[in-house]
Amino acid sequence: MWEKKPILLLLLATAAILVGTIITVVLPFAWVNTEADRIETVTPYTALQQEGRDIYIREGCNNCHTQTVRPLVAEVLRYGDYSKSGEFVYDRPFLWGSKRTGPDLARLGGKYPDAWHYKHMASPRAMVPKTNMPDYGWLSANQLDPTMIKRKMDVLGFPYTSDELYSLADKNEMDALVAYMQKLGSDIPWRNAAATTIVGNLKNPYADSDHSTLEEWEPLYEENCEACHGEHFEGDIGPELDGASMEDTELFEIIYNGVPDNGMPPFAGLGADKVWQVVTFVKYYNQGEDH
Amino acid sequence: MKSTEYNYDIVRSFVNWSVLWGLVAVLVGVIVSFQMVDPRLNFPPYLTFGRLRPIHTNAGIYGWGVGVIFATFIYMVQRLCRTPLWSPKLARFQLWFFNATIIASAVTLLMGYTTSKEYHEMEWPIDVMVVILWVVFALNIIMTIIKRREEHMYISLWYMMASLVGVAILYLVNAAAVPVSLFKSYSAFAGTNDANVHWWFGHNAVAMALTAPPLAMFYYFLPKSTGVPIYSHRLSIIAFWSLLFMYLWTGAHHLLWTPVPDWIQTLAMGFSVMLIAPSWGSVINGYLSMNGQWHQMRENYLVKYLILGITFYGLQTIQGPMQAIRTFSAFIHYTDWVPAHIHMGTMGWVSMICFASIYYLVPRIYGKKLFSIPLANLQFWLILVGQLTWSFSLWIAGVLQAGMWTAMNPDGSLTYTFMETMVEMYPYWWIRSIGGLIYFVGVVVFIYNLVMTVRHGEIASTEAAAEGRA
Amino acid sequence: MDLASILYLGVTFGLFVIFVLIVLRTYSKKRKDEGEIAKYRMLDDE
Ligand code: HEC
Ligand code: HEC
Ligand code: HEM
Ligand code: HEM
Repeated sequence: MWEKKPILLLLLATAAILVGTIITVVLPFAWVNTEADRIETVTPYTALQQEGRDIYIREGCNNCHTQTVRPLVAEVLRYGDYSKSGEFVYDRPFLWGSKRTGPDLARLGGKYPDAWHYKHMASPRAMVPKTNMPDYGWLSANQLDPTMIKRKMDVLGFPYTSDELYSLADKNEMDALVAYMQKLGSDIPWRNAAATTIVGNLKNPYADSDHSTLEEWEPLYEENCEACHGEHFEGDIGPELDGASMEDTELFEIIYNGVPDNGMPPFAGLGADKVWQVVTFVKYYNQGEDH
Repeated sequence: MKSTEYNYDIVRSFVNWSVLWGLVAVLVGVIVSFQMVDPRLNFPPYLTFGRLRPIHTNAGIYGWGVGVIFATFIYMVQRLCRTPLWSPKLARFQLWFFNATIIASAVTLLMGYTTSKEYHEMEWPIDVMVVILWVVFALNIIMTIIKRREEHMYISLWYMMASLVGVAILYLVNAAAVPVSLFKSYSAFAGTNDANVHWWFGHNAVAMALTAPPLAMFYYFLPKSTGVPIYSHRLSIIAFWSLLFMYLWTGAHHLLWTPVPDWIQTLAMGFSVMLIAPSWGSVINGYLSMNGQWHQMRENYLVKYLILGITFYGLQTIQGPMQAIRTFSAFIHYTDWVPAHIHMGTMGWVSMICFASIYYLVPRIYGKKLFSIPLANLQFWLILVGQLTWSFSLWIAGVLQAGMWTAMNPDGSLTYTFMETMVEMYPYWWIRSIGGLIYFVGVVVFIYNLVMTVRHGEIASTEAAAEGRA
Repeated sequence: MDLASILYLGVTFGLFVIFVLIVLRTYSKKRKDEGEIAKYRMLDDE
């Protein structure tokens, strides 16, 4: 039979290939991206954001960054609420990625202020000394092309206004990329829901530490805070810190939960213990040797 | 016996070009590997990690892998069918069109024209070129099979035909896109659908380009090298149909725990585990063919490559199903463990088989004795050590990384920040880079050996030499 | 059992039957020589 008939063999092989294909790839179109998946608050990309997305694709950021948070405890703690199908209905193509050389970016939107991104993209090592992410400062030198962006928006069928397109002319590729990153994962209001309410009495377990102990905690500040608050608390993207003027518990709440709407990220992921160490460092370090 | 006028000319050309693309792939691999340990090696805009990595993967799979597929398929189909190639002219066109496609891919990827879909990064005009290329190739092979002078179709032909239709279906569906300009298009599917379609493609690219064709080569070149037939032709047939049927269900094992519907993930998980059976069908068939022939492992360098190759395939097809299980995936997905899996497959299985096939072919198509068997043995050890260093360093790295990503303090908070886990990877990435360098040296030795064979090799026995000139 | 489960079991069973038939056919005594002939033929093509 098919052992001697190549055409028959080809047809049978095709049939064998098609069974699994139809069941796992064609049929799902009936269930995925349908009304049942829809999330009211998820909106299409604006012209600027979509262009930023295309730059993300062009530069191959997806070779180091994923964009899906899985419903696993450690992952939700690290990155934020897990990803839902309805959040991706405007993503053509999908950018979930397969390798986390850098952190997941699915919930990046609103995590940092714009200024942080400009600084980080221009020179990741200025913010995070040991990162291997390439420098992308050169993107700022490239102006956007509104005609091309209009064509893209038309193909995608996303809404835009002519004012919006007009304003693109004096924006550059970095502006677009940052706008895209600020949109990522922020269409659902997960950030406020995720803020942990701290129950019980807060008490700083390290309140009586001496100066040499404080110095041991300096790396914590350097790695997590310095990029925004400066080497000597003088401020940069974030305000100048005057730890001495604040209560321990107040500091703890701000650092643990952040101030999401104003660009201060939450550091609950460090764990309460390390947050107390940072609190102690910020509060007492400048109070001199005699503490 | 008066031998048929086989067309070896075109096989020679495909061997030469695929080896060149193989060298490029491995070289770019070494470069991206060093970029991961020292970001100063990024030279924007063209030579950054984000743009070079896809060049590495595509040069590896399409330049090297598919190049060798073209060479060996055209050789095997003629021998197995005892008939010359249907259309040498078409094959010549295919050669130059293949090279044009590879060059166009490399240039456009460097320019940043990419769809971002792994192993399908090239934009739509290149998709069109790939489709033309594949149709021309498939037509030539299938027509040669149809007008064959050997009634019985050996199992290699089956795997070849399966790969011809398989690649065609996968590539066409996943290429569906709406063009905006010559260099930009948007996928026809969105979000979760796009992911599901894409990984159905992605995993079956592994099946139809990195599994079925090397199996076709293995089933052909092993008996040819040992001189004894494959253990069981019927076993290979059962394995063939099961493999072909099951592979297509498994794409979603790349998407475990993502928003893809659970039942698709579960099917993918189940079928992945079942895939062990047909995969090992071939492994066992290979081992049993060596019954009473194991001494050839010492005496015959071709056998050494082939048996090590099928062993890596065996390991690969146990490790793969493991990774497809939800709990294990939760741990190692997205970590450096996965590149270790990939490179045991590509550097171990696929490339070992390709090296063996080319070593077998070159003396026959050039009519010259191999320049140096000791060099071939040296290469064997270089690539084996290089690959094991590569994979072992990253398996360890992956487990470490996964452990740190999931480590939690007693109070329910995370133990490590992302950067604390990332800096731990550097030593392993260094070791991987060194493994890559060793492998690269192996490839250089390979090419030196081939060039010397063609330039200065002794003319082989009159029979082989006559065949070579035919 | 609802229709979906019956379909599911039916299809699974059907596939299994096809598999068994292929195995039986490939390994039937009648075809023993026929099935293995190709592996010898491929060796003596030089
Ligand atoms: C070589 C791999 C690599 C590439 C390519 C890469 N990144 Fe990164 N990225 C990293 C690493 C590692 C980190 C973590 C350290 C840091 O913040 O720099 C990171 C961090 C980030 C962060 C901060 C995330 C957070 O939650 O703190 C953003 C935003 C980011 N990358 C955006 C991008 C964009 C946009 C691109 C493409 C233009 C890109 N990256 C390309 C490796 C990479
Ligand atoms: C991405 C930049 C960024 C990082 C990183 C950052 N902060 Fe902030 N921080 C801010 C911004 C912006 C504000 C101002 C918030 C507001 O206006 O409410 C702020 C506010 C604060 C305040 C309140 C200051 C005040 O006077 O009200 C404290 C305390 C603080 N940060 C401590 C820290 C500590 C400790 C770290 C490291 C663990 C840290 N921050 C890391 C950006 C950052
Ligand atoms: C010296 C040899 C090689 C070196 C040094 C090398 C290096 C690398 C590096 C550094 C990466 C990126 C991994 C990451 O992002 O973490 C990679 C990815 C990859 N390489 Fe290689 N490689 C080599 C050989 C090959 C060969 C021969 C092939 C194919 C035939 C291949 C196929 C791939 C593929 C498919 C990926 C993608 C991995 C993924 O998606 O996670 N590589 N390689
Ligand atoms: C039974 C056989 C196999 C199974 C079930 C299997 C399973 C898997 C799984 C589950 C992953 C995803 C890992 C993750 O991201 O968490 C994966 C990745 C991969 N495997 Fe395998 N594997 C098999 C055989 C092979 C073979 C023979 C090769 C040949 C080279 C191969 C090449 C790859 C590649 C290139 C990837 C990376 C895809 C990416 O970019 O993420 N696999 N495999």
